[in-house]
Parts: sequence; C-alpha cells; structure tokens
Amino acid sequence: MDSNILSVRNLNISFTLRGDRFLVIRDVSLDVPRGENLAIVGESGSGKSVFCKALMGLLDANGRIESGEILFDGVDLAKVNSEKQWQKIRGRQIAMVMQDPMTSLNPLIPIGKQLTEAIALHHGQRGKAARDIAVGFLNDVGIPEPERRFKQYPHEFSGGMRQRAVIAIAIACMPKLLICDEPTTAIDVTIQAQILELLQSLKKKYELTTIYITHDLGVVARIADRIAVMYAGDVIETGNSEDVFYSPSHPYTWALLLSMPQLAKKGSDISSIEGSPPNLKDPIAGDAFAPRNPQALKIDFVKRPPLFEASPTHKARTWLLDPRSPKIAPPIILSQHETHAGQLGISSLKQDPALCEAEREVGKKPILEVKNLSVCFGKGKKRFAAISGVSFSIYEGETFGVVGESGSGKTTLGRSILRIYEPSEGEIYFRGKKISGKIGKAEDMQLTRQIQMIFQDPMSSLNERAKVASIVSEGLDNIGKLTSATRQEQVLKALREVGLRTEYADRFPHEFSGGQRQRIGIARAMIMAPEFIVADEPISALDVSIRAQVLNLMSRLQKERGLSYLFISHDLSVMRYICNRIAALYHGVMVELADTETLFEKPMHAYTRSLLSAVPQPDPRLEKKKVLITYDPSEHNYETDAPSWREVEKNHFVRCNDAEERKIREMYSLQANRGNP
Amino acid sequence: MRKRKNQQLAEDLAAAAARGYAELAEAELFSPAEYLPDETEPLSYAGYSYWRSSLRIFAKNKISMFFTALIALTLLFTFAQPFLPNQKDPIKIYNDETGIQIRNAVPSSDFIFGTNAIGQDLWSRTWSGTRTSLFIGFVVAVVEALIGVLIGVLWGYMRKLDFLFTELYNMFDNIPQTLVLILISYVLHPSLRTIIIALCLTGWLTTARYVRNQVIVIRDRDYNLASRCLGTPARRIILHNLLPYLVSIITMRMAMAIPYAISNEVFVTYIGLGLPLQIPSLGNLIVSGIDKMMDPNLRYQLIFPTAVLSVVTISFYVIGNAFADASDPKNHVV
Repeated sequence: MDSNILSVRNLNISFTLRGDRFLVIRDVSLDVPRGENLAIVGESGSGKSVFCKALMGLLDANGRIESGEILFDGVDLAKVNSEKQWQKIRGRQIAMVMQDPMTSLNPLIPIGKQLTEAIALHHGQRGKAARDIAVGFLNDVGIPEPERRFKQYPHEFSGGMRQRAVIAIAIACMPKLLICDEPTTAIDVTIQAQILELLQSLKKKYELTTIYITHDLGVVARIADRIAVMYAGDVIETGNSEDVFYSPSHPYTWALLLSMPQLAKKGSDISSIEGSPPNLKDPIAGDAFAPRNPQALKIDFVKRPPLFEASPTHKARTWLLDPRSPKIAPPIILSQHETHAGQLGISSLKQDPALCEAEREVGKKPILEVKNLSVCFGKGKKRFAAISGVSFSIYEGETFGVVGESGSGKTTLGRSILRIYEPSEGEIYFRGKKISGKIGKAEDMQLTRQIQMIFQDPMSSLNERAKVASIVSEGLDNIGKLTSATRQEQVLKALREVGLRTEYADRFPHEFSGGQRQRIGIARAMIMAPEFIVADEPISALDVSIRAQVLNLMSRLQKERGLSYLFISHDLSVMRYICNRIAALYHGVMVELADTETLFEKPMHAYTRSLLSAVPQPDPRLEKKKVLITYDPSEHNYETDAPSWREVEKNHFVRCNDAEERKIREMYSLQANRGNP
Repeated sequence: MRKRKNQQLAEDLAAAAARGYAELAEAELFSPAEYLPDETEPLSYAGYSYWRSSLRIFAKNKISMFFTALIALTLLFTFAQPFLPNQKDPIKIYNDETGIQIRNAVPSSDFIFGTNAIGQDLWSRTWSGTRTSLFIGFVVAVVEALIGVLIGVLWGYMRKLDFLFTELYNMFDNIPQTLVLILISYVLHPSLRTIIIALCLTGWLTTARYVRNQVIVIRDRDYNLASRCLGTPARRIILHNLLPYLVSIITMRMAMAIPYAISNEVFVTYIGLGLPLQIPSLGNLIVSGIDKMMDPNLRYQLIFPTAVLSVVTISFYVIGNAFADASDPKNHVV
C-alpha cells in the first residue's frame, strides 16, 4: 500500500466571478502520509478551503478543476464527475467538519437521529443496534450523559457540544481521511483547546488521517505533524511541524511567524508585512510574495521558483534555496525564547514589568471610572444581567484590556461606555463627570468627540454605498458646518495618518482589503480627535499579517496623541503585547484585575488560569506537552462563604472568598494583607 | 492600468535573457530587487459596482429584456399616437353620410379597431384609455412609494414607534381592500381624482411593511452603530445609511404597483363605480366590451383593450420581478 493516502499533483482550480477568471489554486502538489496530521495554514483567500472542498467534490458552481490529479488511495478524484460516485466517497472515505456547527446540523432533527442516519447508511445497522453504536460515538466525543443527549435537538447543545456532535457524525462513517475546516474558529478559546484535544485522541483511536485548515499558528503548533503553508493559491512551504516553526525557509513564513504579537516586545513595533495578498485575477509571474518582501531578488519577479529541498522532510518554493542566490539569514525566530516557558505553558517573550507600570505613574489621573455597573436586558421573567456589579478605573494614556469569552458581557461593557446601552445600575464617569443617565445636548456632543470606537469586522462596519471621504468626514459634519475645503483637508490628513493614500478618498469601501478597511474605520474615529477609544476585538477578524499592521498603528496613535484604550478581546496573547492592565470577565462578573505581567505570572482566579492555559502558542514543543486546565464554576463553594472583590496583593484584585484567598496566598507565598475587609 | 515598476523590470530582464545575455541576466536576476512599499497592495480590488452588476444580470435575462422592449414600444406609441396623422377623436361620435351613427362597425382601414355601440372610434379610445390607465398607475405608484417608504423607515428605525405602527398596520390591513375601494368611490364623486385617492389609500401598506422589514435587517449592522457613535442624527442615518440599501426594493415595489393600480381601476369600473364614460380608460373600455362578449362578430370590442391591458400589466410584473432578482447582491457572483 502506498504510504501516502492522498497525493495531489499539479492541481489548478479556477473560479469565474462576474465574467472574470481567477486562478485560485496554482499548480499545487502535496502529499498526505497515512496516519498523519497535516495542517494547512494560510490567510483568507490563500485557497486553503477551496483546495479541501475540491477533495470532496464540493466546489461552488462557479469553480472548476482546470488540470491536475488528486490521487486518493489510487483513485483520481479530479476525474470523478457524477454525484453518485461522490456519494460513495463523501462520508465513507473522506469526511469533513466545518467551521460553524450550527449550519452543519439539521435544527429540526434530534442529534441522535442525525447520528443514526449516518450509521444506517454506512454500517447498515438500524433500530436498537444503531442506537447503541450512536451512543457509543457520543460517548467517544466526550458528550456527557449520551443517553439523554441522544434525544435532544441541536439548539439544546452549547457551541462546543454541537461541534462534538458534528465530529461524532463525521467519524461515525469511519472515514479514512477527516478534513477539519477551521473547526474551532467560531468557538471560545477554552472550548477550542478541548476540541483540539478530542481530535487528537480520536485520531489515535480510529487511525484517522486528518487535514486541518486554519489561520491560527497556535492551533497548528498544537496539533500538526506536518504543515503546508499556502499563499495566493500556492503551497509555498511544507515540512514537519518543527521544520516550519524552528527553521522556516520561505520569506513569507518568516514574516508570518515574526508578525505574531506573541513574539513582540511591548513598547516596540511588531514586525509586520506591509500590503495585502495579490489579486488572483492577473497572472502572477514569479513568487507571489515578492512585492511584499523587502529582501526579494529580481528573479522573484520573473520566474516562479521550483520546490527546493531544505531537508528530506522540508521543502520550500523560494529562490533563496537556490545555490546561486545570495545568502540571506533568516531572522532569529523561535529558537531563543523556549526557555521562557512558564509553568502554565506561556511561551511569550517576557515583557518588561516596568513598562506596564510606567504609563500609569505618569498620568495617575483616571480618565474613565466605572462604578458598580450593571446592565440588564429583557423584561420580567426573561430579564438577565449581561454585566453585574463591575467597577474599575482606566488611567490616562493606558491600554486597559478586558478579556472574556462569548457571553462574558465584554461587548456590553464597551457599548455602555459609548452610551449605546443604558446602565440598569451604577455609574460611569469620564474625567470626573458622570456620563451615564441623562446628560445635556452640548455635553453629549462633546463626549461623542472624546470617546470613539474601533469595530471588530471591517466588512460590516463601513457603509458600502458611501465614498471613503464621506465615511471619514461623517463625524465632522455632525459637529458643525464645514467648508468643503476644510473638510477635504481634514479627511486627507486623517487618511495619511492611518497610512492610506489620499487618492483613496474618492473610492468605495468594496475596493479595499480587510486591513485597509480597518484603517478607514480608524481614520473615521481619529478625525474626531478623541481621547478615549473603545476597541472591541479590533483585530480578531483580520488576517495574521494584517493584525500586526493594525496593532502598530494603534500603538503609534496612542504615543502621538496620548490616547487611552479599552481593548476588548478574547485573545490573551495579543493583550499581553498591547495592554498595561487586564481584567477578566466571566458571565458578566469581573473575576480578576492585575497588571499584565502579574496576571500572566500569578493568575489567581481559576477561570483566568484556564484561559491562560487554553491560549494556543506558536511553539510546537511547548504546545505538545502543555496540560490543559479546565474551569468548572461549581468548584467554588460560594453558598456558605460568599465571594467579594479583594486586593490580594498591590494592584492585583480577584473575586474570591476567605478560603480561596488563603489558598492563593499559600500558592504564591504572599503575606496576609492587613487592609483587606 | 498603471504598470508597476518591478513588473516592468521583470519584463526587461526576461527580454534580456531571451536575447541571449543568459549569464549576464543570471547574475542580475539573483541580485536584490528594489523594495517599493507602494507596490505591496494589489492594484485594485475587482471593480465591482452594485448598479452595474444589477443591470448586467438584468440584461442577461432574455424574457425580461423582451418585455422591457415591448413595454418601451407600447409606452412610446401610446404617447405618440395623438400626434400621428389621420387620428380620430376618442370622444367624438362618428356618423355616416345619412347622419346615422356608425355603430359596431367591425375593424376596417377606416376604423382600425372598429367602433363601439354609439359610434366612437375604438382605436383612438383604446390608446387614450391606456394613457389614462398608465397615468393612474404612475401617480399611484409614486404616492405609494413616498408614503410607504416614509412610514416604513420610521416604523423600522424608531423602536419606540414600532408598537404603535404595528397595531395601526394590523388594523388597516384587516379592512378588505375592495371594501375601501368601493366605499371611497361611492362617497366621492366619480372622477380621476377619486379613483387615485381610493387606490393610494390602500396600496402603501404593503410597501411600508416591505421597507420596515428590510430596515430592521440592516439597522443594527455595525456601520449604523458606528454612525450613532459619531453622533449622527437619525435623519442623516436614514438618508445616507438606510435608503441607499432600499432603492432596489422601492423600485421593485413601484414596478409592481403600476399593474396593480391599473387592474384595480378595471375592477372598480366593472362594479360601476369607476371613471365616467366620457373619460376613456382601459376599465370602461373593457366593461363595455364585456357586453358584446357573447356576439362573435363584436367580440373585438373586448379583445383589443384586453390585449393592451395584458401587455402593460404582464410587462411591468415580469420586469419588476426580474429587477428584484437582479438587484439582490447574492445573485451578483455569476
């Protein structure tokens, strides 16, 4: 038997869009060895999803395999053309787990029935026998009480449980190859870590070969045996996980790894890749990455590099591996900081704790104070508190991070500060003045100028039917009448400030890439000359190479204008780079607040600890030996001993009760605090 | 398209290699290229324009293009007809040499569509009637769109008004439309104005609901939230952020309102409450045609106005539907 379960040769796939032809997979060759975990990494538009859809005959109607072969167990899938043949392959031979579990489950049929359908089709078992097998699979994927869960509908499952059910259905058909298309992107970090662990164990148990598509290098480090890096429809580097992480060969892989905020030092810029990936409509002559590569050779613009061998397991498509090319040393990437591995598996470069303190010492004045804030939604029986009893202060010039998972109330918190939601209880003060509740019209306008927002999704946060100039100047027009000359001047100044060309002012948003659109959004906020910015997940919808650009821009603006940020995110690794202090929210309650480095070194609340352990790190050696900490709220004994908000050490607050405080003090050998209530 | 500097360089080098300067070109090829930050962004993202795409998809639909051509010709002819030579008066009663009315004359070269029971020329009456009906259709469509969009946007965007407007809608919507039509036509004097008022009173409800549903879908999108954060007043949000997204459904509703208004006019006239006979309209032409339906020789009096009515209503209906499909961005991929 061939040692490769799948081998793709010179595959070309094109799409037609509004009459234009886009070559989205360009001459890709790739082998997948039996029983291995291959991760395909790439940014959006790199062709990773299209590639995997082609393996299952699921290309959209406007997509077409132009040439090449896809040999799966000796059968050329590129030549399969009838639905009937595909049905024999899909599910039975190759199964797929998609990004959003809710769209891959039928909401009108109980989970158990959807599972037994798959079992009936592929094992020929029905009735009681099928049911027993199904319950077995549910048990295998870690769904508690499988007998009871069997009868439930998808809406009765949480996001993580749904994804487990989808995985159960996928493996119930006993496929040889399992393709996971960003299976954890729509899921919280702590659940993501559990799902990744589950996939690892299932792979061993059922002897699966898996292809894992993702844009998250941390996830790759955790699960991959082999890695294929895709850029602009081409596999530019393949190798063992360690080859790619510790001795990458392609300049794009270098840049990608370098642009991860985990590896940047606070206060200095993250090395970022300028620009955006090419538009696949025009033919690409040489190396697709060349225009964005500062060290590109002239030949990179002329001729497509062949796949050079860096080592028997490691290949890369770059002229740098040609003996004739000048020696360009790869940047020192991951080799140096392994030693920093803390007990919780946090591998980031240690930040200088002085930097966390510094800004706060300078401007000791709080710019924003939130006092005992609660926000409730709904009426009567349906009433629930999205935020309950949250208090904190943000100091001038500081970046205050709020970390939490979906449903933690972090977005509600940001929007209450922007006065979109009314607090049900508590007050918010800005520069000592109360801004919650009823305020005057002039004051309202002034606050609008002072407090601005950066949005998560650059696609939905710009008005598609307005020109860039009118989007950027919108806030100015609300303040007062402007002459068109001053407006134009201000718009151009704002565009230059965020690094956009001034001729973009006359274009419509759809002509821009995600990163450029996010810059337009930032320019729109900056033109108001704000003092405080609420940034709600400002980079989580962006590609890795674009994230660094936006983070750098945010830091630069902060330095130049002395801005203060409320940085809302679910990603602690990014927050370590940008935030001075971090607060953790869990179900609307603040559970811990500390200086960034203190939080990473001495996490006190069990939830913070589980969050820290779940964050994937771009370092395979660390990721593979990491032990997950799971948080279970029932571990607190709050019935007899109620928790309160306590300052356990200086500037380090945690919500705990007496017994827990004692335990924490023991763990970090801290002196008892006299001033504590 | 602007040629990029590095692209130009690449072409020069390739040309040099082809001319046989292989070795020279090789040393050159493996030397560092110039890094041009301006060239890191692709030149342009696919030149997509909402309206251009909508029109392109619409033009691809052969059936709707056929009806567009048909209605264009019909409209052109309807309005040009009175200015053509040798046209007869739609109101005048024609007598023969003996002074007797030319009643029920079958179509001939003199009277192209024949004459009716009192000797009027059906050809000119049909086109005059089409003009009246189209006039009613257009006025009603415009008024409906104005009222419907105004109410619909307020209903959808102003959360506080939602309850009030929903209840009002439920109330009005439960009154049968025919009843309102009959009542208004009965109370007011039969005239062009009466029938337009009657039709406008009922039609805007559907438009308002359509608009309201669409506004609810888009009002909480991030870009509207962004506008609120910038202190943009509701009026500007409605005009700049919401209306541009509604243009396609408004156009579609207007295209649909025209055939509805025309058929409703026919209906009201049929039950005897429509326009007075001295104003020819497709409605009263058809009604008087129906009297002659049982006589095979006189059936033409029904067939001609009905044919014109069908052409007008079916064309607007097909065009409206095709435009609704074409203006849906989901269909813009092919």
